[in-house]
Amino acid sequence: MRSSANIFQMRDEIVAVAENQALTGGHFLLSLHSPRQAQATRPGQFAMLRMLGRSDVLLRRPMSIYNVKATSDPARRGSPGDSPAIIQLLYKVVGRGTSLMSELKPGDRVGLLAPLGHGFLEEEYLPRAHEADEILHVAGGIGIAALLLPAKRLAEAGFRQRLFFGGRTSADLVGVGDFKPLVRATLFATEDGSAGSRGFVTKPVEDYLARHANKKYLLMACGPWAMLQATVQLARRYRHSCLVSMENRMGCGLGVCLGCCIRVEGSGHEAYQRVCTEGPVFWAEKVIWDVARATCPDASGSRS
Amino acid sequence: MPRSFAPLRMTSEVMAVPRTSENVLGRKEGSGLRKPEEQAKTPRFVPELETEIAGIRFQNPVWTASGTFGYGKEFAHLMDLNQLGAIVVKGISPEPMEGNPAPRIYETASGMLNAIGLQNVGARRFLAEKLPFLRTLRARCIVNVFAYSTEDYVRCIEILNEGEGIAAYELNISCPNTRRGGIVYGSDAKLTEEVVAAAKKAARYPLIVKLSPNVTDITVFARAAEAAGADALSLVNTFVGMSVDIETRMPRLSNTTGGLSGPAIKPVALRMVYQASRAVRIPIIGIGGIATLEDALEYFIVGARAVQVGTANFYDPGTSVRIVQGLRDYCQRKRLQLSDLIGSLKLPDGSAPRPNE
Repeated sequence: MRSSANIFQMRDEIVAVAENQALTGGHFLLSLHSPRQAQATRPGQFAMLRMLGRSDVLLRRPMSIYNVKATSDPARRGSPGDSPAIIQLLYKVVGRGTSLMSELKPGDRVGLLAPLGHGFLEEEYLPRAHEADEILHVAGGIGIAALLLPAKRLAEAGFRQRLFFGGRTSADLVGVGDFKPLVRATLFATEDGSAGSRGFVTKPVEDYLARHANKKYLLMACGPWAMLQATVQLARRYRHSCLVSMENRMGCGLGVCLGCCIRVEGSGHEAYQRVCTEGPVFWAEKVIWDVARATCPDASGSRS
Repeated sequence: MPRSFAPLRMTSEVMAVPRTSENVLGRKEGSGLRKPEEQAKTPRFVPELETEIAGIRFQNPVWTASGTFGYGKEFAHLMDLNQLGAIVVKGISPEPMEGNPAPRIYETASGMLNAIGLQNVGARRFLAEKLPFLRTLRARCIVNVFAYSTEDYVRCIEILNEGEGIAAYELNISCPNTRRGGIVYGSDAKLTEEVVAAAKKAARYPLIVKLSPNVTDITVFARAAEAAGADALSLVNTFVGMSVDIETRMPRLSNTTGGLSGPAIKPVALRMVYQASRAVRIPIIGIGGIATLEDALEYFIVGARAVQVGTANFYDPGTSVRIVQGLRDYCQRKRLQLSDLIGSLKLPDGSAPRPNE
């Protein structure tokens, strides 16, 4: 099992909403004022958000940390040296919890447990990033939320990157502007053909891998189970490394409820690992993909 | 490319505090409501939260429930574990268990369903890897014991008997999420007696028996466990429930059914603790939907000698410590000792329930 040294950066805080901006397709960008949690965040980690005073919605909601920044005010960009004070969560309204979240107003308070989990840029993953000719980000729908911070950090370090982004329709393709300065190109796919190629995002990924068979890539993927499974198969077929950020229902985010466990290579009590603690990012080959109903069918919003 | 992407900052890890003689020996129980002249002499009333169950002294009656608090250490950086009366660890089986496939949990109105399937490290690794930390705490360590058969319950206890620093066992005859063991024993009074008697005989430490609410008459099972030698009872475990996804028409849990917990179950659980506390003489530990001080007080009033906080640990880890503080303030304000509160329910006809002593 993986070291849990990371948990010591996690904090349980009550924080104030700075902004809750409506985007297209029922998506929102929630900005929370929380300097200590923002500063501790590493790319690909997540947060557990709690609606206060709502015992009918009991559990916290797991959400990728989309971005951290010095200020949520686009007019005041903050100087480059400013340390982050804002945590941004990108989410889609899919159920009761996210519906309540969409009603949050500036000044409202929420519970935030963050930062949590092992992200995309853990020490053990870096050698493969260095070996790769290019990092390929593969996002399905709201899965995009896990990829911005890794893309930012990798861009700062001079890595070549490319984004493949799929959704049901063009309104699902949120946050594209944030990736633009970080990647060499973005390729879209929508199921209704309203943006990019028609169909699943794995089609442009496959075309790209087939065209550049002599190159070495590291894929970083986040999205629905079926998309991840298809992406992992492509990575395997073309012999590229692939990291996946997994979604699952979570009870606590602390590693104790064991509700978010997924089947991985191994036996005994290690056959299941916690998405919240050992993950959410895993090597694709470690995950057992062909288990029936391995994840919840309605997991299209955030991580839950 | 920097080697490390963020500095590792170690924040306040809980200081290990060894048990001292004060909290083991304890003071004499208070005399309860004091007369006004006594108050003048001793202006400051100090409520005593220390409580004794099965010959073991606990610094307070607020514990964390099995399966909701890991092995304690997971919460060490979020709260002061030394404020707790006891930590009941995740169910331990003689061999490691891998648990059920996903999905394992589903949120329901004011509650949640779970079917984890008792994933755990097994008794030997618990002793080697988890118990040493728990031993350093002022909170007592209670080990929840699970197995598939009477022989395996005994075997698990025999392995755990080698461990030092265990205050008591909590016999799990009520887990609803495994095909064998658990609730099979907890929903048949004869099997309850059989397994409790065998476990009691094997156990080096006092035996608490955790009862299932999925029975028609809780008092039958409370009496069966008492008759077989249980030192105390804890109740309730989760209620068997289910939820269906109307789009796919599939169950929300891979196990089809799961155990319901959280504030939704509190009134039913409270009623069962009330009934059980009138049926037996051994101490009762109340569990079920405790999320606030008021919840805990209700359990004490109907007869619980201690309470366990469960599901609330998932979404608000500070709950149990807040209840300890709140309980102290409440007793202070009411000038009540905890012992005066326990079983102090006043019934409408003026009769008092039989005290649970």
